[in-house]
Amino acid sequence: MIRITDFSFRYREGAAPAVSGVSLAIGRGEFVGVTGAAGSGKSTLAYAMNGIVPHCYPGDFYGSVEVDGMDTCEAALTDVSCVVGSVCQDVESQFVTSVVEDEVLYGLENFAVPRGEIESRLTRALADMGIADLRERAIASLSGGQKQKVAIASVLALRPKVLVLDEPTAELDPASSLSVFDLLARYARQHGTAVVVVEQKIALLARYADALVVMEEGRIRFADAPAAVLSHDEELVRIGVGCPRSTTLVNRLRAAGVCSGRAARTVREACDVVKEAVA
Amino acid sequence: MSSFLEYVPGDSMLHRLNPVAKLGAAALFAVACFCSGSLAFLAVLLAAGFLLAASCGMVRQTLGLARAVLAFSLVLAVVQLLTTPAGAQLAPLPWGYIGTGGLLAALTTVVRLVAAAIPLFLVFYATKLNDLTNAAVKVLRVPYRYAFAFTSTVRFIPVFMNDMKGIMEAQTARGVEFDTGGMVKKARLMVPLCVPLLVSSVRKTNSAAIAAEVRGFNLRTVDSGYKGYPLAVRDVAALAACALLVAVSVALGAAG
Repeated sequence: MIRITDFSFRYREGAAPAVSGVSLAIGRGEFVGVTGAAGSGKSTLAYAMNGIVPHCYPGDFYGSVEVDGMDTCEAALTDVSCVVGSVCQDVESQFVTSVVEDEVLYGLENFAVPRGEIESRLTRALADMGIADLRERAIASLSGGQKQKVAIASVLALRPKVLVLDEPTAELDPASSLSVFDLLARYARQHGTAVVVVEQKIALLARYADALVVMEEGRIRFADAPAAVLSHDEELVRIGVGCPRSTTLVNRLRAAGVCSGRAARTVREACDVVKEAVA
Repeated sequence: MSSFLEYVPGDSMLHRLNPVAKLGAAALFAVACFCSGSLAFLAVLLAAGFLLAASCGMVRQTLGLARAVLAFSLVLAVVQLLTTPAGAQLAPLPWGYIGTGGLLAALTTVVRLVAAAIPLFLVFYATKLNDLTNAAVKVLRVPYRYAFAFTSTVRFIPVFMNDMKGIMEAQTARGVEFDTGGMVKKARLMVPLCVPLLVSSVRKTNSAAIAAEVRGFNLRTVDSGYKGYPLAVRDVAALAACALLVAVSVALGAAG
């Protein structure tokens, strides 16, 4: 669904490339987490997938980024948007209307979703995000977390083939973050949508993602299944990516020869490993 | 609580009117205010504006708006007072005098501006901006990008006001005293704040433009809007009533 080949990008005003030599393939229905320290190129990579780079932020673009067989550099941003649904990092400034219902309707109207489907999609998207009661509310009156849910709902309603979300849970509490990831993972499975989530919360990514991409200074440092990536906990910490404590614990037990096997992605997996070790 | 020009939900007659009819009626009301110089007629229009505000529970917002327009119109009134030597002399000036005629003209200006502004602002408080955009596109056939640009400008006013408030609070926390000294000192303190405000405004506008584009802004057509905005009897009645006000105002103006 997404094929990135030797992609490099330097913003017009930037001295160094924000992303260098990135190659990545993401299949239909795959849930991929992208993480890395601040300034590692995560958002630029997301922008390349939804066409914002180079269409809105000009610069030197090398390599190719294809989404659903369409070259995002050659295709118009509107054509890319028909395939890719995006939630940007700064949700506050991405609203184009002032009321929740209108915000979700906006994309549905523009993409000419049949009138008979609009109400059900709108209701479903709001219900999925747990904000059905906010439908008539002014966006300005919502909390940061509620705004984030509205932004995600307005994209989910479009049912795109690819979802690119840049820190979609930055303003959410832990319970809401879990429910959003749960929904995204379910959505990817049910609709065959490729979901790419740029996120700092590596524990969440490790729990839900099929693959984890770790960026370092514009390059991909690791790109593998979460358990394989998390086995490099010391390197992850060195490049500014925190590791879940349960993973660190199991990795240290492994290093001490207390247990063996792959890295634990969740607390439950860590418990199982420890139980097995002490049995 | 809503901010300046932010939609206030409600079920009043004004809320239920077609957005285009509301805007048209408010524009006609404003025209009526400017066609007559009769202070008594303008006072009636002002009272009608407040009655309209009371009918949709927006007296507080309207009083705030009236205060703001009053402050602006007072400047014009003072200029008029000092430059219109008419009627009986009240006070001599080196270049003429302040007269009862000038005083009446200044008072008329103040009442006229406040009366004309109230319905226009109430329209924005009682209408979702999206409905205003879509109705302008569907009923008036205004190209979507122009309608969107206009309503986006209105939508960003409270956003930028909040930004300015945030920047001022941040500066106050660092010891800047905006609440002491006169207007000149306050203006001098606020000038440097325009730079961060401008930067954040440009950034927000750019982000909103990108957000609109990635959600199909360029695919929008006249038929894209989900909701319909047919004109009802009450809309025609409101427009007719305001047209009648214009006629009365013109007649009074011609007679006076």
